[in-house]
Amino acid sequence: MHPQLQKLVALQDIEAMISEAKEQSSELEGMGFNLDGLASLQEKADSLAGEIEKRHLGYYRRLHKRFGHAVVPVVDNLCTGCFANIPASFVSATNENLLQNCESCGRILYWP
Amino acid sequence: MDIAEVLQHTSPELFLPELEAGDKAGVLAELVAGLVAGSPTITKQDAVLQMLESREALGSTAVGPGVAFPHGRTLAVQRLTVLVARSGKGVDFDSVDGDPTHLFFVLIAPPQDSGHKYIKSLAALTDKLQDDTLREKLMAAADYESFCAALGEE
Repeated sequence: MHPQLQKLVALQDIEAMISEAKEQSSELEGMGFNLDGLASLQEKADSLAGEIEKRHLGYYRRLHKRFGHAVVPVVDNLCTGCFANIPASFVSATNENLLQNCESCGRILYWP
Repeated sequence: MDIAEVLQHTSPELFLPELEAGDKAGVLAELVAGLVAGSPTITKQDAVLQMLESREALGSTAVGPGVAFPHGRTLAVQRLTVLVARSGKGVDFDSVDGDPTHLFFVLIAPPQDSGHKYIKSLAALTDKLQDDTLREKLMAAADYESFCAALGEE
């Protein structure tokens, strides 16, 4: 996997975790979970964002603002963001180390 | 959501009757290795481990008496998946009460989880596992089937 994509996936996972912890704090705390580490998790996200090339991070931020999820998994050759078909050539070994976008919606593609 | 529904997301391949690791980092790695080995659709071990480690940084998930619920959402999974594991000797998992953790329920879900099934599953499990007698039965269960039968009892 492209190393920048690996960082983008980790960043999206952490940012989703932070949002969930904020939005569902009462429900999670009601189950007994302590969310005291929110600030340190945000620091971790910031540090990870600092390791991503500016052009990739900027594109990720724009997609995130527009769609909510900037990186989306490809399932059954479909972009799960817009459900457009992803050409078979995208999944060839030659492209394994490329950062690829859906030709239809522009979201960053990830093969889980 | 009831426990029977939660159990639909696990399988005998996702049951680790006796963990080998003796510390938190080792247990997390063993749990993730178990997820990859037990679920054909989970292949990105590093991404899952990184997510669970980040979740522990938010606050320890060892909130039940002797029970931890490592959980979270990641792009690396396609559906809600539940792994169950036990440690007879117990592990220091930074639990809220400071006691060793013996039972682990790992819940991981994709970012798009319609109906918030994983939060509802988490709520059902954290509630159910408050029962001292149930936890004793789960630790004593001889196999996956008897473990699920005990967990499913009213």
